[in-house]
Amino acid sequence: MTTRPPLLRERSALLGGVSVALADHLGWSVRTVRAVFVVSSVLGGAGALLYLWLWALVPVVPDDSAPAVRRRAPVAAILVGVGAATAIVLSTALAGADTLATNALIVVVLSLGGAVAWNLTLDRTDPDRSREYALWVRGLAAVILLLTGIVTLLSRPAAINAVLGVGVVVLGIAVVVAPRVVTLWTELQASQTARVREEQRAEMAAHLHDSVLQTLALIQNRAGASSEVARIARAQERELRDWLFTGSAPVDADLASELREIAALIELDYAVRIDVVAVGEFGPSPVALVAAAREAMLNAARHAGGEVSVYLESTVSAIDIFIRDRGPGVTLETVPDDRLGIRESIIGRMARAGGSATIGAGADGSGTEIHLHLEVPHD
Amino acid sequence: MTSVLIVDDHSIFRSGLRADLDGSLEVLGEAATVDDAVAQIAALLPEVVLLDVHLPGGAGGGGAEVLRRSAALFDRVRFLALSVSDSAEDVVGVIRAGARGYITKGSSGLEVSRAVAAVASGDAVFSPRLAGFVLDAFGAVTGEQAATDDELDRLSAREQEVMRLIARGFAYKEVAASLFISVKTVETHVSAVLRKLQLSSRHELTAWALERKLL
Repeated sequence: MTTRPPLLRERSALLGGVSVALADHLGWSVRTVRAVFVVSSVLGGAGALLYLWLWALVPVVPDDSAPAVRRRAPVAAILVGVGAATAIVLSTALAGADTLATNALIVVVLSLGGAVAWNLTLDRTDPDRSREYALWVRGLAAVILLLTGIVTLLSRPAAINAVLGVGVVVLGIAVVVAPRVVTLWTELQASQTARVREEQRAEMAAHLHDSVLQTLALIQNRAGASSEVARIARAQERELRDWLFTGSAPVDADLASELREIAALIELDYAVRIDVVAVGEFGPSPVALVAAAREAMLNAARHAGGEVSVYLESTVSAIDIFIRDRGPGVTLETVPDDRLGIRESIIGRMARAGGSATIGAGADGSGTEIHLHLEVPHD
Repeated sequence: MTSVLIVDDHSIFRSGLRADLDGSLEVLGEAATVDDAVAQIAALLPEVVLLDVHLPGGAGGGGAEVLRRSAALFDRVRFLALSVSDSAEDVVGVIRAGARGYITKGSSGLEVSRAVAAVASGDAVFSPRLAGFVLDAFGAVTGEQAATDDELDRLSAREQEVMRLIARGFAYKEVAASLFISVKTVETHVSAVLRKLQLSSRHELTAWALERKLL
């Protein structure tokens, strides 16, 4: 038994892609399938119903990039044509049989209404249909509807035709206004939701700012900068602040924010308070620089603790990072050879990346300051 | 003995800070709103006002409004801004309205006391973060440098060096040691930078202020 290809509609189709899908699935020719649909539609309309049913239920070919569905047949334009032709029939029929006029009127309303509906829904997402095409379809539909309505009202001001006539005039006006109303409505909905959300957020941010942040600040200065309690309070404060003030803004992973994140993580593990000050514009961060800076911050946290200052500056030609602690002080001479931290992870790493690392005492001879320097190639 | 007025709308914070300040400071009073603060500053004439950036009352202008309304007293009363936020941008408004410096509310009582003493003696108080902001705002990293000392829109080479060291976490004493100048000279440079920060009409500073006022 041969396996049949799955029943799926192509994204590029004449009308709905149903015939092609069915032909593929059954192994028939597309022509045969179309002929069957047309013949059974004309004889009682079963084909049209089956077509619509399959259109609604058969899925389109799944595609991750999901390009828009394209339809080759200009359905809206065809419907406008049908409407126009029927309207001409109608204008001649107005003098004669009543039922013919009524039927023609109904066809005009359905085809032009259908054209506009098709244009407003399916054609909107179709890249093959231009704005001018939409304007033409809707403009012509509106003009024909209005003319038909007015002519009907003038020549047959009686009973069913009058009601239909008025309906046609109203529909004609609606066709012109509809796209504007649809856009306005969706915009209104979107802006309203956005505003409500923004208001809620602002209110909550104000409240948290006034209460929780203040309390966290108070806890920190009562508990002493490097105590356990202050550390936890600081971590919480940082998290809350990030949420409050950066909020929904996209997080760009530049060097400064990466180092801040590392600092926050280190603060969780050690009795230390790391202040990161960044100056200049930062692009994508060099891996070696981040790793070396991280190692230097960890060293400061492990061996010195207390207050650690991190200053990074990015100029057009170089990035400099200074990591400064106020601990007992380390110089290269006093570091044992077996301690890999400074020698390998900082100096070695920076040298391999084409930069340099210098380690010295702080300004007044106490503490340690590690200076990382990396030239940035010009583009 | 330096007399101090604490202006903050949170009573817990006021009492906490009051308990933490060291013995060389005398707290004259506390205020919780803009109007209350303006009235008490005029009545008590403290040497230093510890001023929260975010304050209720008045026309809604917070700490900056207190400064503007007390501007006539600037030669007798000095202002140190306190902010729960550690982003310098949040504080530039009060600095430009006349505050002599700012510290975060997370600072210890000792740090606050030191900062108060510095402000009382006429110095400016720059945190590393504010120094970083100044370097950014005055285009120091893009190589802009003042040609003459009285230029308001750019920093001189020396001022940039001082700001860089402060941003690296150096105390004034340490800055002085590494630049081989006296602490007094460092203070002079910092005050000069503060003055530029207050008076400059650099695009980065005015655009920022404008944006805030419009929001």
